[in-house]
Amino acid sequence: MTEALPQFTLVRPETLDDALIALQATPDAALSAGGTDLIVRLRKSLVGSDTLIDLTGIKALNSIDPNENGLRIGAGVTLDQIEHSDLIAQTYPAVVKAAASVAGPSHRQVATLGGNLCLDTRCVYLNQSHWWRKANDFCLKYQGDTCHVAPKGNRCRAAFSGDLAPALLVHDAEVEIAGPTGLRREPLGDLYVEDGATHLTLEPGEILVAVNLPASNRTSDYEKIRVRKTVDFPLAGVAVACDTSQEPPRLLVAVTGTNSRPFLIDPPDDPMLSPADEAFFIALQKQVQKAVSPQRTTMIAPHYRRLSVAALAVRLARRIL
Amino acid sequence: MNKPAKTSLVGRPAPLVDGIEKVTGKAKFTGDLNTHDALVGRILRSPVSHGRILGIDTTHAEALDGVEAVITGKDCNKTYGVIPIAMNEYPMARDRVRYRGEPVAAVAARDAETAAKALDLIELDIEELTACYTPTESRAADAPLLHDNKPGNLEREVHHTFGSTTDGFAGADLIREETFDCAEINHAQMEPHAALAEYDAERDRLTLHSVTQVPFYVHLTLARCLDMDSSKIQVVKPFVGGGFGARTETLNFEIVTALLAHRTGGKVMMQLSREETFLTHRGRPNTQVKLKIGLAKTGKITAVDCEVLMSGGAYAGYGLVTILYAGALLQGLYDITNIKYDGYRVYTNHPPCGAMRGHGTVDVRHSFEAILDRMARDLNLDPFTVRRANLLQAPMFTSNGLMVNSYGLDECLDKVEHASDWAKRKGKLGKGHGLGMACSHYVSGAAKPVHWTGEPHAVVSMKLDFDGGITVFTGASDIGQGSSTVVALAAAEVIGIDLARIRIVANDSVVTPKDNGSYSSRVTFMVGNAAIEAARAMRAKLIDAAAELLDTDPDSVECEGESFFVQGSSQSELGFHEVAIAALAKEGTINVKGTFTTPVEAQGGKHRGGAVGSTMGFSYAAQVVEVSVDEDTGQISVDQVWAALDCGFAINPLAVEGQIEGSVWMGMAQGLCEETNYLRGLPTHTNLTDYRFPTIEDSPPIDVQIVESIDPLGPFGAKEAGEGALSGFPPALVNAVADAIGLDANFLPLTPDRVLEALIKLRRAKRRKEANT
Repeated sequence: MTEALPQFTLVRPETLDDALIALQATPDAALSAGGTDLIVRLRKSLVGSDTLIDLTGIKALNSIDPNENGLRIGAGVTLDQIEHSDLIAQTYPAVVKAAASVAGPSHRQVATLGGNLCLDTRCVYLNQSHWWRKANDFCLKYQGDTCHVAPKGNRCRAAFSGDLAPALLVHDAEVEIAGPTGLRREPLGDLYVEDGATHLTLEPGEILVAVNLPASNRTSDYEKIRVRKTVDFPLAGVAVACDTSQEPPRLLVAVTGTNSRPFLIDPPDDPMLSPADEAFFIALQKQVQKAVSPQRTTMIAPHYRRLSVAALAVRLARRIL
Repeated sequence: MNKPAKTSLVGRPAPLVDGIEKVTGKAKFTGDLNTHDALVGRILRSPVSHGRILGIDTTHAEALDGVEAVITGKDCNKTYGVIPIAMNEYPMARDRVRYRGEPVAAVAARDAETAAKALDLIELDIEELTACYTPTESRAADAPLLHDNKPGNLEREVHHTFGSTTDGFAGADLIREETFDCAEINHAQMEPHAALAEYDAERDRLTLHSVTQVPFYVHLTLARCLDMDSSKIQVVKPFVGGGFGARTETLNFEIVTALLAHRTGGKVMMQLSREETFLTHRGRPNTQVKLKIGLAKTGKITAVDCEVLMSGGAYAGYGLVTILYAGALLQGLYDITNIKYDGYRVYTNHPPCGAMRGHGTVDVRHSFEAILDRMARDLNLDPFTVRRANLLQAPMFTSNGLMVNSYGLDECLDKVEHASDWAKRKGKLGKGHGLGMACSHYVSGAAKPVHWTGEPHAVVSMKLDFDGGITVFTGASDIGQGSSTVVALAAAEVIGIDLARIRIVANDSVVTPKDNGSYSSRVTFMVGNAAIEAARAMRAKLIDAAAELLDTDPDSVECEGESFFVQGSSQSELGFHEVAIAALAKEGTINVKGTFTTPVEAQGGKHRGGAVGSTMGFSYAAQVVEVSVDEDTGQISVDQVWAALDCGFAINPLAVEGQIEGSVWMGMAQGLCEETNYLRGLPTHTNLTDYRFPTIEDSPPIDVQIVESIDPLGPFGAKEAGEGALSGFPPALVNAVADAIGLDANFLPLTPDRVLEALIKLRRAKRRKEANT
């Protein structure tokens, strides 16, 4: 048996407008698409709402559309669709690799791009049953007042653990957000802040509706660190891209799983170092190690996540430079 | 080696007799049973690791609409436990709680939501006490005692000496001593725990359906804890989704569910979440092994000195047996005369450990095979050569009194050495790739059972009636290992009839003969032999009737393929049905039975604890593991495994292959990634994302070979097949990693973070060494 699901109201809008109206009416409602993370959290009593708004009926969110500027992927597109999209594979290979690496095949059939980008942060003190968290006096992120990871600090340290974000960051993705005042766009990076408790900058009433990728001739790649070869969330994940539109080629690096947000890391900026120099890779490794700040949100030591993600970044960089 | 007798059924791959039910979903597991009229049971669990219960206020919970019963430790003052001399656990805590997750109260309510609400309404007043989470903490001079009668928080200490280790080490050309730390692990069987209890107040009768491997122990425990006559209790085991030792003892929720049913006079279904299943635990304890081995330069073992420290959790459970097994099976695999063993089982404020596939032997075997390999390296000997320098000569008794009548280890070694192309490839696979090997063994059942009543170890009965079907009654618990199929095959083979004519009725205490349970891999050997004896009795009755019909001596009558005939005669054959009718005409319904009892010489040495490790025979295994190691991330890929197991005789080669693959895989899981983790007593591994065992992506091809040494006392020569290969994998993995990257790991599991940390230390040490030369 799993823990009993609580009673909840399920709202099933058929259009984006209806969804926005429903969200306005119940601002604390949880948005649901594939539900692969939401259902688990519901059973653990981690969702502070008894209203779910199911977005899967909104056709406008479900398409992959090439356009003159590049590609638009609806937030409701499943990871399975992304994994098998030749179009995305040709131009944004890291995105396909990232999608293919999430959980297992049955999750990917229903899990969505939007869900993965808005994935709630994770921590060993948070992702536990009600009985467990109550025995531990809850935590700063939910129902308590202490961050057990950093008790002397003043913020939640839960780690962002979605795989798609870094792969999209190295391709300069923008997100499209719908809200009560209309549509807005911003760089994907601006969707996040370094705060485990409120890591998304979505305003009340807003819904992520699409990701826009500019036209690209970058090569890119994504891999993640985990103990097993599948299923697990990333202990850390890294995406790289090579922008050959300039000389020397520019390397882009983005990480996930190490901080409360995914983010781009500036490659070594010493003009004396050219990419494909051994010294460049050594500098890159140090740069990544310095830039990430994994915390004790996992039982696997943070230091391992730091070392392994940096090693992986270098490995991927070598591959594409 | 002996040759198997000619057979027509056994020895051929046979799909399990209940396979169709399982793959079509028809099989009913405990959670599938009809519960439309059952209350939902839930357990309230201690939020603190160690504390004195000052009060439990259940008034608000009892007042909640839909709640039918609330019970606490006050409602059962009987301790229980699987070892009769070590019963120190209550179904619900009384006076003291000793681990986070320990049951302190329980409710029965009309639905799950009400039950959950009721739990939240129970108020606990617990005075927290200092908790001990490690053996160091538990054994400290000022440590609080978890059990007042156990000073030093020591459940049991064992000290065994055989031969003279002083002489043995004095005569060694090489001595090596190392300490290994093996993490606590859990069975993580597919089916979470569940129990369905029904109490008929009119007739004072209790029925329990449960996931147990040991319905007999559960029966005795229910009688004790509910203060009921055992003749009023019925225990039934439905399909079970995996045991591996998680269910080889009565579990607290089984008793609690029965208590709730008794209190409400009705039916209560309790289904534990995966978290609660992990909290119920009874897994393999964290074990520290300090092992010193002496070798002659030929590789012959001259002496072994082994010290084991196990963190057993909060209650006794199987503890004293586990710590005895750890020392006992140092023997029985290789020829060793001089052995000293000191074992310590310590209490900690964690969920209690129990028996898990391989029981206490695994972590010790792991350490042994790893050190042996390193010593082989030091002596410039091939690891296979070292094993071959230490083979036993069967038949024999080990110095700790264990009986060995059949021994196929040498053939296992030959097979995997050849199949893996070891000689050509070992040490030559290139940087980051390696081969490692190890041996292992396990008992075919404990020759002296836990509840020693003097009864036979196994009883099987059979019935033949007017419908022509033969029904076999057994208490043996099929937990997926195929025990019902073994019994059916044995019966059909001996009688000389089609497998389809056999029906198996198992595990209903009202109907089936008592069986001690599915643990220590006893069922094939013991129940198989009992089935053969019952089948012989049945065959004799049929042969007698056929002989009359054929007007000849019973000795001249054969039965094969459901035909009765006189050998060498042109007389017509008789079909099964007419012979059956003739047999029934004499006495009506035919009931026969067969038993099996272990002979005294199998029951182990005369020293204290000598019964543990005693067995009718050991299975033997050798395996080779090939790995690739990523030195930048510490990740290990197991690329291929070659395993050979001597199971005496494969009654069902299909099932034996499955068991070998399963044991290798489970050993791999322990080697690579399984571990429990606690934060001040709170478990962080209580779901199958955080408790990691390999997925299919992580699983290598496993080349399986069966070796048949034909045990003289085994059924058709068979010994066990379900545990022997497990403890060989972790050391073969460690040895392969050493071959691949020059790292000798002294920890389990070999998770990437540990491997990388060890590699960094190794590199640093190398650099320092180079700098100093």
